[in-house]
Amino acid sequence: MNSCIRCGYCYEHCPVFKSTKWEIDSPRGKLILLYGLLSGELEPSDYIANKIFECFHCGRCQKACASGVPTLEVFDAARADLIDAGFNVVGTTSQTNHDICARCLNCVRMCKHEARSFVDGKIITDRLKCRSCGSCLDICSEKGITIGTGYGTNPDELSSKIKKFLNNPENPDAKAIVFMCGWSSYPGFQASVYDKFEISREYEILVTACSGRLKSQTVLESFEEGAWGVLICCCPENECDHGGSARVKARMKYLTDFFEKMDIEKNRIQIAEIPQGNPKLFTDTATKFIKEIGSLGPAFERVGKC
Amino acid sequence: MGPIDIELLKKIVGPENVRDNIADRYVYGADASVHEATPHVIVRPTNTEQVQEVMRYANREKIPVVPRGAGSGMCGQVTPIMGGIVLDMKGMNRILEINVKDGYCRVEPGVVDDDLNRALKPYGVFYPPTPASSLIATIGGEIANNASGTRSVKYGAARDALLALKVVLANGECLSLGATTRVAASGYPLERLIVGSEGTLAVIVEATLRFVPIPKYRCLGISNFNRLSDAGDAISDIMASGCQPSMLELVDKVAITAVNKAEKLGLPDVEAILLFEADGMAKESIDPEIEKIKSICEKHGGFGVEYSYDEKERARIFAGRSKLFPSLSKFDDRLASTSLADDMAVPFSKMAEAAGKIHEIAAKYGIVMTAYGHCGAGCIHTKILMDTDKNFQWEAAEKAVAEIYDYVCSVGGTTSAEHGIGLSKAPAFKKEKEAALELMRGIKRVFDPNNILNPGKLMDAPDRWLVATPLRYQIVE
Ligand code: SF4
Ligand code: SF4
Repeated sequence: MNSCIRCGYCYEHCPVFKSTKWEIDSPRGKLILLYGLLSGELEPSDYIANKIFECFHCGRCQKACASGVPTLEVFDAARADLIDAGFNVVGTTSQTNHDICARCLNCVRMCKHEARSFVDGKIITDRLKCRSCGSCLDICSEKGITIGTGYGTNPDELSSKIKKFLNNPENPDAKAIVFMCGWSSYPGFQASVYDKFEISREYEILVTACSGRLKSQTVLESFEEGAWGVLICCCPENECDHGGSARVKARMKYLTDFFEKMDIEKNRIQIAEIPQGNPKLFTDTATKFIKEIGSLGPAFERVGKC
Repeated sequence: MGPIDIELLKKIVGPENVRDNIADRYVYGADASVHEATPHVIVRPTNTEQVQEVMRYANREKIPVVPRGAGSGMCGQVTPIMGGIVLDMKGMNRILEINVKDGYCRVEPGVVDDDLNRALKPYGVFYPPTPASSLIATIGGEIANNASGTRSVKYGAARDALLALKVVLANGECLSLGATTRVAASGYPLERLIVGSEGTLAVIVEATLRFVPIPKYRCLGISNFNRLSDAGDAISDIMASGCQPSMLELVDKVAITAVNKAEKLGLPDVEAILLFEADGMAKESIDPEIEKIKSICEKHGGFGVEYSYDEKERARIFAGRSKLFPSLSKFDDRLASTSLADDMAVPFSKMAEAAGKIHEIAAKYGIVMTAYGHCGAGCIHTKILMDTDKNFQWEAAEKAVAEIYDYVCSVGGTTSAEHGIGLSKAPAFKKEKEAALELMRGIKRVFDPNNILNPGKLMDAPDRWLVATPLRYQIVE
């Protein structure tokens, strides 16, 4: 723990911190809490335990850390200890509403992390294995799975951000929503490794957990609020740990086919595979996308407010 | 100070912007320094009126208030040593105006440096102070610490880029200081007094900053030296030659070894490396500068000189320097990289001698220290690598720090180049500025008669940093 020099450079990369801007939600905040627990200066509590479990496991903090602090290992070990100590907290892990759950076991089968299992007639989440990707939420036809604190990635949170950005009278240039997977292409907004100066005000970047979690409904909502287009950046299919890239592609194919039938340009919805650490590709893709939809003009008159 | 009325604070800034549980308070008691202390409550205002309300209340009840930006300071500037309220300014993070015609921008204090530059870029201009931590550093924090970075040799520090400030005084009054014009001749430049005051005089709620054109070309070069003193001579010669480098960086042998060990970059096994850069709108103006710097380096025994305009090449040349900071933490698993004697400034002609002196003092006290820095600005950074478990190492570090700053003062240098004073450099600062301390205290009394704004810092900081607060490290022996 002493190798963390508390420079704070990691926290601008963390989607949890970026969503609240409270330092306790940053990777450095987590490390400081753990330090307090180890040194005895802090008493363990549900609040602290929850904070340690609130993480999307994106690994950006570890990559950003110049001092080589193995944050992911440290957090995982701490979580195991907290569970051993009897803390029954859920953080950002997915939880099942057993009253709604139809026991179809789709989520158990699809979870790439083997975090869900069927025990004594109930689906339970292994909180150490769950990577908070949210894929199971999407697969559950009964809407019986939730992530309590989504840090901006839950559908209702995305909806309100879409509304806010597209209806902001101070930004007449707003015309597109870019959904970015929290693992691969999310640039950290102003991370120094990113070609940070080139995110235009024409589009808003919204971080979904895994892009596979992005609902068609959320994409359609963007159009309803006046978006000219929607770009979805996901991991290359073979790099996605959660199987989400394939799912979002299939879903968007369905949507674009529908657009075509309705005589709406299908390139208003675009998907780009952006591997980790290729910000240039993101910038280029986004620039090209904005140019294309710029030439198409508003989609609004075509779709109309539903 | 009586009990803090949390409910009242919640009414002022909204319940979602107040945190008073022990976990949050513990996190906000830390920064990048060796210090820690726990505040009573964290309050995150989102506008000026809220800051005023909070200050009125705190002043009435004599509750300490510590304004905080990113919390990336290295000397304990935001350590709330007397508890009280931490005012987290990250909630005020709007860029209010970019006025290209009149050459200024207006921002709230919580705006992140990189964010501002991202917003300025389309206009072809940039805000130059940019410390290494620009991806998290807030403008308010940069002004309060008079921050600068590798290019300060040409572009100056936060103070040079500041035109005007809006501040809230300890009694809640809001004042505009300075002017948005480029020149403002008369009266006391109070806005400049706030720069480097480390939150002890007023709370910054808005800053008007000037910007400069982004240079079209940059050329970066490198020269190796077999003797540190030769590199030192080259530095003073370059600075006296009329050249205007945009960067001039010195990396010493300890740092080279650290980088080679941690990153296997294969830097030459030399005593010192000098990195130099010139920038401008036309290559015709840059080329002669680079040629001149090259010949000065060679005159002083510099070898292996190369330079390039190409971005990739520049990144390659700079790799050693950019990997330096992290390498120090990885230098030796048993040693932690502590933020002590972290910065200082000396005259150009003393750069090499100071680096040598630092090594000598480190050896004497059984700790590891390196010296690197923006030597074009006379700025030296170090870190103390030591076994933080051991009490005797801390005692040695305390002596080493004192001795280093005594030396710095003796050659006409100063305690802080760009990181600030806080707690861990305060003993040296107080020694250096001894004659002016009473005057500073007087100014503080005029601004803040109840001594509620970041009390116990700068001239009022404890005489020994080692016992000023609990240390963030656990000492076992
Ligand atoms: S984890 Fe790394 S980047 Fe984050 S504060 Fe610690 S040293 Fe800095
Ligand atoms: S892994 Fe990602 S979400 Fe978790 S603390 Fe690190 S940066 Fe934040």
